Amino acid sequence: MKLIKKHIPLAIVMVTGVLTLVSYYVPNKVSVNYIETLSQWENIVVAFAFLLGLISLFFSHYNKIKRHADGWGYSVFVFVGFLAMVLPAYLSHGKQMTDAGLTPLGWSFKFIYNALSGTMFAVLAFYIVSTAYRSFRIKSLQAFVLFVAAFILILGKVPLGQIIWSSVLGWTGAGVDQVIEWIMQVPAVAGKRGIMIGISIGAIVTSLKIIFGIEKQYMGKD
Amino acid sequence: MIKTKVIPLIVLMLFAAGSVFAAKPAPAAAVLNGFTAGDMPYDVGNAAVLRWPVNPADTPDTVYVVYASSLQTGGWLEADRFAFDARTGKDIDLPFWAWNGSADEHAVKVELNNLFGESLPASVFQFKVAAEKGKKVIAESLPVAVTPVGNWFRLDRLNNLILLIVLIVIFFWAVSHAKRKGLFIRRIAGLDAIDEAIGRATEMGKPIFYVPGIGSMSSISTIASAFILGEVSKKVAQYDSQIKVPHYDPIVMTVCKEIVKQSYLEAGRPDSYREDVNQFVSADQFSYAASVDGMISREKPAACFYMGYFMAESLLLAEVGATSGAIQIAGTDVEHQLPFFFTACDYTLIGEELYAAGAYLSKEPMLLSALKVQDFGKLIVMVSAFFGMILVVLGAKFGWTNFVAGLLHLFKGY
Repeated sequence: MKLIKKHIPLAIVMVTGVLTLVSYYVPNKVSVNYIETLSQWENIVVAFAFLLGLISLFFSHYNKIKRHADGWGYSVFVFVGFLAMVLPAYLSHGKQMTDAGLTPLGWSFKFIYNALSGTMFAVLAFYIVSTAYRSFRIKSLQAFVLFVAAFILILGKVPLGQIIWSSVLGWTGAGVDQVIEWIMQVPAVAGKRGIMIGISIGAIVTSLKIIFGIEKQYMGKD
Repeated sequence: MIKTKVIPLIVLMLFAAGSVFAAKPAPAAAVLNGFTAGDMPYDVGNAAVLRWPVNPADTPDTVYVVYASSLQTGGWLEADRFAFDARTGKDIDLPFWAWNGSADEHAVKVELNNLFGESLPASVFQFKVAAEKGKKVIAESLPVAVTPVGNWFRLDRLNNLILLIVLIVIFFWAVSHAKRKGLFIRRIAGLDAIDEAIGRATEMGKPIFYVPGIGSMSSISTIASAFILGEVSKKVAQYDSQIKVPHYDPIVMTVCKEIVKQSYLEAGRPDSYREDVNQFVSADQFSYAASVDGMISREKPAACFYMGYFMAESLLLAEVGATSGAIQIAGTDVEHQLPFFFTACDYTLIGEELYAAGAYLSKEPMLLSALKVQDFGKLIVMVSAFFGMILVVLGAKFGWTNFVAGLLHLFKGY
């Protein structure tokens, strides 16, 4: 039993991992085909897993409605929303547009889905303002540096800010655009690269842990 | 009768002869010497490299045209056209240990797929190059046949391979060292706060939201997030608190279900495990964000964890969590989403810390050794960057052009 539940899966992980790693250094058609095959397998698994996800979603919300749990009314909208997209898709044979114009699916997509997605994305603008307000409360030296950098960036992006900069700090000879350029190209890039280097090494080490079976938490324990 | 046929014939011949003598003979194009063509090294077998010496007599109006054909004779297609001073051996983007190119020769890489489509029509291809002035061919090489072959090793990635081997050696050293002696591991504030967050949720009797992001199971950050979820849910089970894990990806949901179930089992509370701990929400980014925001707003959780791969929804989620008054701990390897988490969350794990979190929380020596390897890796990069920087500055100061170029090749990815 342990062989089937533990050793064989670990061996599959190791062989697949090593072959994928080796493929990076082997440019031959064999390795290219291997990577393509893996990608196709992944797509097939994803397609089946999506069905699993859908069943989980329906069961979870069906139970909420059945138990009249708090906010069960929202669960009704899961089914309403699903039908609002699936029925038009069925009636339109999956086409959003025909010679006659928008199909019911196209209409649902344009006037329901896109409108709702656009609204969510638009909310981001308001959240950025409230986040900026929170981050501009200077509580430490780091917060002060962040505030100064952000303030200069905001100042430089609006015409009024550029006028203020020229009239107050024009004597320095440095334009606000040059200062912004420097902030974005020097300290920001340096910090970003530092983070990227750490992330890359972390990703390598995490991959090694999984490939060599040191990390096997995803399989449960003995 | 014969006379009537012979006279026009003689007149015609005289005209023809006259026109032959009157026409100025076109000068034949010179042969472009030194032209060679070969298989492009370190590729899948769909490119050729053509080389010939730079002609010092070329004038600015000289243009080189490269032709390729999949036939034995004829069928020439124009593969490239460039000015007399372009495409030298230095322009081929390969490091010094894998390519010997000089500025004294032209070197052109011809991608055959771009010319002949994905499936190549032949195994042998003909190449030639012509030098043109205006629209006139002044020199042309003889055709050369090339059989492109797939190579077995990317020599240009040798620097990368050496770094990987060094990391693997350190990795195994750290693992064996951890087994024997144990390792000192630095503290990570964001991870120490997890206990505090779970304790708070238990005291308040409110749920904990664990958001694994919108990455797929092949994303390293999602894998790391699944490991953290295992440790968090084990603590949740021990404290008999509640955890909710809304999912974007059905595969991640399936894996997380197993992990959470196992954690409850290990904590000795399998009876407390409920199937609806993990639930699929939506595979659409903003639908997912809207749904999770709704849950957070309604249920007012005591703690929110955002661990994994996040894009624009990072702020949508974190800001709603902050407004609801939850203690928030985030971690992602998407560096451009980190500022949003920094400002909206109480603790943020930066990339590598996210990867290390599972090991840190589990306190298993074998897993903790990975943290040590990460630190050694960073040390190697820091030392290399420091000395590399000094050497490049010295090289620039004293004009060691080749040395600086070679040094930069060492640090470049191919």
